[in-house]
Amino acid sequence: MEQNATAIIAEHWAIGVFIVAVIALCAFMIGVSSLLGGRSQGRSKSLPFESGIVGAGSARQRFSVKFYMVAMLFVIFDIEAVFLFAWSVSVKEVGWAGFWGAAIFIFILLAGLVYDSRVGALEWAPKSRNPARKSGS
Amino acid sequence: MLTSAHMMALTPVILVCATAVTVMLGIAWRRQHAATALVSILGLNLALVSLYLVYSAGDVSTPLLVFDRLSMLGMVLVLASTLACLTMSHAYLEGYPGRKEEFYLLMLCAAAGGMVLVASQHLATLFFGLELLSMPLYGMLAYTYRDKRSLESGIKYLVLSAAATAFLLFGMALLYSQSGRLDIAGLLAGLESSGGGAWALAGAGLMLVGLGFKLSIVPFHLWTPDVYQGGPGPAATFLATASKAAVFIVLLRIVMVAPAFHVEWLHTVLGGLALLTMIVGNLLALIQTNLKRLLGYSSIAHFGYLLVALVVADGLAVETAGIYLITYLMTTLGAFGVVTLLSSPYSGEDASALHHYRGLFWRRPYLAAVLTVCLLSLAGIPFTAGFIGKFYIVALGVEAGRWWLVGGIIAGSVIGLYYYLRVMVTLYLVEPGMRGRDAPDNWGMKAGGVVVLGLALLVIAFGVYPTPVIDWMSVLTSPVH
Amino acid sequence: MNGIPMEHGLILAAILFAIGLAGLMFRRNMVFVLMSLEIMLNSAGLAFIVAGTAWEQPEGQAMFLLVITLAAAEASVGLALLIQLYQRFRTLDTDAVSGMRG
Repeated sequence: MEQNATAIIAEHWAIGVFIVAVIALCAFMIGVSSLLGGRSQGRSKSLPFESGIVGAGSARQRFSVKFYMVAMLFVIFDIEAVFLFAWSVSVKEVGWAGFWGAAIFIFILLAGLVYDSRVGALEWAPKSRNPARKSGS
Repeated sequence: MLTSAHMMALTPVILVCATAVTVMLGIAWRRQHAATALVSILGLNLALVSLYLVYSAGDVSTPLLVFDRLSMLGMVLVLASTLACLTMSHAYLEGYPGRKEEFYLLMLCAAAGGMVLVASQHLATLFFGLELLSMPLYGMLAYTYRDKRSLESGIKYLVLSAAATAFLLFGMALLYSQSGRLDIAGLLAGLESSGGGAWALAGAGLMLVGLGFKLSIVPFHLWTPDVYQGGPGPAATFLATASKAAVFIVLLRIVMVAPAFHVEWLHTVLGGLALLTMIVGNLLALIQTNLKRLLGYSSIAHFGYLLVALVVADGLAVETAGIYLITYLMTTLGAFGVVTLLSSPYSGEDASALHHYRGLFWRRPYLAAVLTVCLLSLAGIPFTAGFIGKFYIVALGVEAGRWWLVGGIIAGSVIGLYYYLRVMVTLYLVEPGMRGRDAPDNWGMKAGGVVVLGLALLVIAFGVYPTPVIDWMSVLTSPVH
Repeated sequence: MNGIPMEHGLILAAILFAIGLAGLMFRRNMVFVLMSLEIMLNSAGLAFIVAGTAWEQPEGQAMFLLVITLAAAEASVGLALLIQLYQRFRTLDTDAVSGMRG
């Protein structure tokens, strides 16, 4: 048991040092800057600050549904790409059969993409070229 | 590795998937309703033909899928019901103002899912097939989303079906954690040897909840009538026929494979569920004033009867389940088909309230006759297919000495007779000046009309002369090994 | 597995599952319902990972891939229906929408 504890300490002491160092560094930066830094007060100090630009409008702004469509398509295709990772880690083992499988998989994805672009799911410009599509969204 | 025999056996599934991709590219190229329907029907027919070739080539088994006679039976049922649904959707969507073609795409994907599901012998394919089956159904149910009932039914089905899937998955994970195997046979054997603890028990229970949801067994049936009522006709038909048949067959496979299932308490639980399902389904059907809801409750009750085959689970159980499934599918397809035909051309909500059907006989005698035959068959009157199915189920129950279940079937049938007769009487009432929803005049010429008429004739033919189907079924369900 | 028994992981997954189920039953806002569904699906995924690690098999992770694919597809279809729901009813309350009873 004693031996075991020593072994664990020997293995993990670096992590302990790292944690202590992180805490010490943060405390140093905050503490020193609060001691040395100047203070000022004013109305504009309490405004939200973003890269020097004063915020405008409400945060509860609503966006066009078309952005959502793009986001959704991204999520779906993104997840499909995960399956290709599974293929990539075993590409030597599965050989040509795996290659053709992946090729068919990518072809089906491509067919889906062609379909998406043809039905206008990828157009997020405010004005669709085809006026009939506007009602569908 | 895959051999050519494996590829050969996979042909029907591949054909359906290829049809789906073709239809998708076809829509991208040019929108054409009739052509899309034609390509889909062609693909499904090709798959049916290739199924025969696969069947004559004998059993093939891959680590994930097994192509034995039970999966052949399941695939035939799924494909045939999908074909009927597709034909009806052509009639239904004719007048739909929005995009029509995607419906076929969704239905083809769901059919592929059903075929994978019935052939699955691994938890991964079971899960994958089940999801490929239900995911397109969300879209199909909410397809006519401008009608708010359709949207509501889509949302309800999505939430409840996803919850059921989560139950199923969690159950699978627990079983996997106890046995270390994902193939169904190995998993059950592993559970047997480890004795199964509380985790395994919880896992089996959760899986039962998940599958019970999809089959709408009684404590988990609440979604069924709402979804059937709100969804567009063809989608509800698909849900009631192809989807349920596929889930039932995979449940049958699990019960048949597993020696672990032949313990008394499990039979008691299943028997209790079956009894509850048939009684509650029939009782709630009594108070319905909407034909689609009524058919929904009646389908709940019919799956209660079907569960009897699972409870008995030996002797003629598989054959009985097969025969009952066939009669149920024919009859339900016919009944929902008439509702669908009357609801098309699409004009808002489906014609499903019972008063739409008052005096139907005097306006559309053939459609009324078809509906009458189907209702008689659902009630299990002699000389219709439903009688043969019910006869087999009762015989199975009597042979196994499950008197409670036999009593439940008989009580359920008596209640059923009452509400089916009520609908039939409505069909023949004379009500001058009352014009309800109507089918277009030339409905009989259309493919949908032909399918419905053919189904009614099949129901009668099978009821009068059942021998060929019974022979076929006993061949299909006899264990080969 | 280094020291943590499999049961602990499974219990964590079960707790997550229960949280999701409770959210599904008690929340009426469609967004929260969908979030609860995601939690339930992911708890099942976690249980697969835990079990796969305990048996030192890759199958658990393969199943997890399938589960997250399903969760993504479920979420996108659910959100699409949610948008239609909001456009029709101007609300996300699932009770307000439920019109069919009996």
